[in-house]
Amino acid sequence: MADRSGAPAGALGTFGRYAGPATLILSSLADGAKHGYALTKDILSFAGVRLAPGTLYEALTRLEAQGLIEPLPSQDRRRPYQLTAAGATALRAHLRAQRQVADVGLRRLATRWGPA
Amino acid sequence: MTAQARAARLLRWYPRGWRDRYGAEFTELLMADLAEQPRSWRRTADVARAGLLARLSHAGLGGQLLGPVDQVTASLITLGGAVAVFLTFGTMMWSQLVIGWQWAPPGNRATTVAVLVMSAAMALFLVLALLAAVPVGWCLARMLTRRPAGQLARGLAWPVGLATLSAAALIIGGRHVQNGWPGTGGPAWPHQGLVPGGVAAFGWATTLSVSSYWAHPAALAAFPAGQIAWMAVSPAALAGLAAGLSMTVRRLGLPVRVLRYQARLGAAAGGVMAVFLTGAACWVLAGGPGPRNLFRPGAIDVLALIMMALALAAGWQALHRAWAVQQ
Repeated sequence: MADRSGAPAGALGTFGRYAGPATLILSSLADGAKHGYALTKDILSFAGVRLAPGTLYEALTRLEAQGLIEPLPSQDRRRPYQLTAAGATALRAHLRAQRQVADVGLRRLATRWGPA
Repeated sequence: MTAQARAARLLRWYPRGWRDRYGAEFTELLMADLAEQPRSWRRTADVARAGLLARLSHAGLGGQLLGPVDQVTASLITLGGAVAVFLTFGTMMWSQLVIGWQWAPPGNRATTVAVLVMSAAMALFLVLALLAAVPVGWCLARMLTRRPAGQLARGLAWPVGLATLSAAALIIGGRHVQNGWPGTGGPAWPHQGLVPGGVAAFGWATTLSVSSYWAHPAALAAFPAGQIAWMAVSPAALAGLAAGLSMTVRRLGLPVRVLRYQARLGAAAGGVMAVFLTGAACWVLAGGPGPRNLFRPGAIDVLALIMMALALAAGWQALHRAWAVQQ
């Protein structure tokens, strides 16, 4: 168990079925802090996925509890979030693993089914 | 209905702690979403699902929406609540058996073994409760000596006061009621029973409200008014004691090493609950009425068995979450 502050911790592999929304959120925050509505718009634009409000905040809450993101002072009633160093490390590791899977899949597809 | 009112209604799916932290920003997001999509059953279902999950997480039973320490604390508090429910029904069942034993020992092996097993489990519960109370009392004493009085009054006066008043009500009321009914033992049969007559009688008195008489109002009306009043007040005192203790533990913010220690005690308590439940099931399923019909299980005992099984399941789930987060 980590300390009370939240802690460096779990990579995205521990998120189970929440890894998808978590990856999208961390990827969106990789270029700077955003609040909830800006996150949904950004994710829709780069991934074509519309995260519903409940799902978005479920993932944000988990990411904050794991110390992968942190809140900034709120602007009016909207609160932006930014990536932490632990979050950047976890996202990098997760995306590299995904890229490895994608590379293997594409290579095998090309071998058996021909290049796209 | 305005967008703000609809967002506020959706927000009610979430627990209070979550709303305090995320309510304002989540409402803003919901209002923006409502402006884009005024009607969406998918949004409602999504918020309801996420809100219920947050409630489970804040109760320490699922998910992991809190920080590790807060999550373990929530799980241990829920485990404590499950043990309290278990003990309420268990004490009701155990006290009637040991009071019966004061009149005459059980006539069959199943009941004899069951009462012995349940009595041993009750003794272990007492040991575990004392072991759990020591570090909590130590942390409370340290806080009393270190924090300014005003800060302490704001944070802990209410839960400590509630727990103290509830415990006092249980002790005073229980002692009064236990002496008011000759069937609870007392001076006439002090040396025949398995446990001291006063202990059995106090257990009986504090759990008097767990009774099948609630389903028979005409018979209940024949009880003395004071006893009926006690049957109504004692559950509130039990609930007040459990709530006061859980709020105290939450507000104390126990250190990580104490939480680890409490989790180990919680695992032991889960094992003792399972042992007690086995003994209770042995009596209800295989025991007989015994001499003078003293050990006949009734419908209330079957209900108690079900409630204890549910409390054990909830307690194990909370314990599982606490251990999973610690890993």
